[in-house]
Amino acid sequence: MKDLTRKLLNPFGSEAIEREVEEELRFHLDLLTEQHLQHADTLDEARASALRQFGDVEQVTDECVEISKRQRLFTRALKSFLVLTFLAGVFVRIFGTEINVLRFGDMLIAVAVMGRLFLYVRDLKPAGFRPKSDTSSPLKLNSSAKTPASLFDINNP
Amino acid sequence: MAHDRTDLMQGTLELLILKTLSHESMHGYGIAQRIHQSVDDLLKIEDGSLYPALYRMEERGWLASEWGVSENNRRAKFYKLTRSGRKHLDAERANWDRISRAVTKILQTA
Repeated sequence: MKDLTRKLLNPFGSEAIEREVEEELRFHLDLLTEQHLQHADTLDEARASALRQFGDVEQVTDECVEISKRQRLFTRALKSFLVLTFLAGVFVRIFGTEINVLRFGDMLIAVAVMGRLFLYVRDLKPAGFRPKSDTSSPLKLNSSAKTPASLFDINNP
Repeated sequence: MAHDRTDLMQGTLELLILKTLSHESMHGYGIAQRIHQSVDDLLKIEDGSLYPALYRMEERGWLASEWGVSENNRRAKFYKLTRSGRKHLDAERANWDRISRAVTKILQTA
């Protein structure tokens, strides 16, 4: 119930989207700071270099959140349409009397079920998606580098 | 030397991302590092500019993303090319070759 209320008050999951974008960018900035830490004298210096290389954090965050919201809005609209189509099909099946009307109801239900199935399959991640844990990767970090959980908060750069 | 570097043409960043992801799934930082290594500092790319491009490409269905664990055991979002993205990469690569040949030809004759 609490979850439903939150969804109704926040239909596009704005907070969750913002949190996700911020976490993703924070990950990048932390690794970038670690990278610069190898050549910088202080953490502040490394952080400043990382921010310079990254660009405008706030603007990037805003753009990503906006795109994510748009994408989620489209998906939700499509899902709602499919639910309504399904309900309309069921309604027609229950109250329809003529054979053609009943067939139309069947068609609506079939379209809704197939549409939902398509969305479900599209959301499935193939096994090959899992990232490889390649030890020879050039992205491997220097284990001797200082690795605080989060070197800084992107909300307060 | 920074003034000698070339700013990215529109659409080029997307092509670089598609090519970078054509072999394996990677997180944003990994993509940025791979691109920096590949272009050898010839192009000026701000790391942050990758993200709106990644999100737009995911919106268009060229990329799929999933949260996973990075090489340093942190939660990270990984991107992978979809079938549609691979098709787009092939088309864009052919387009790039064509434009590149055309411009080179013009520059040589002018």
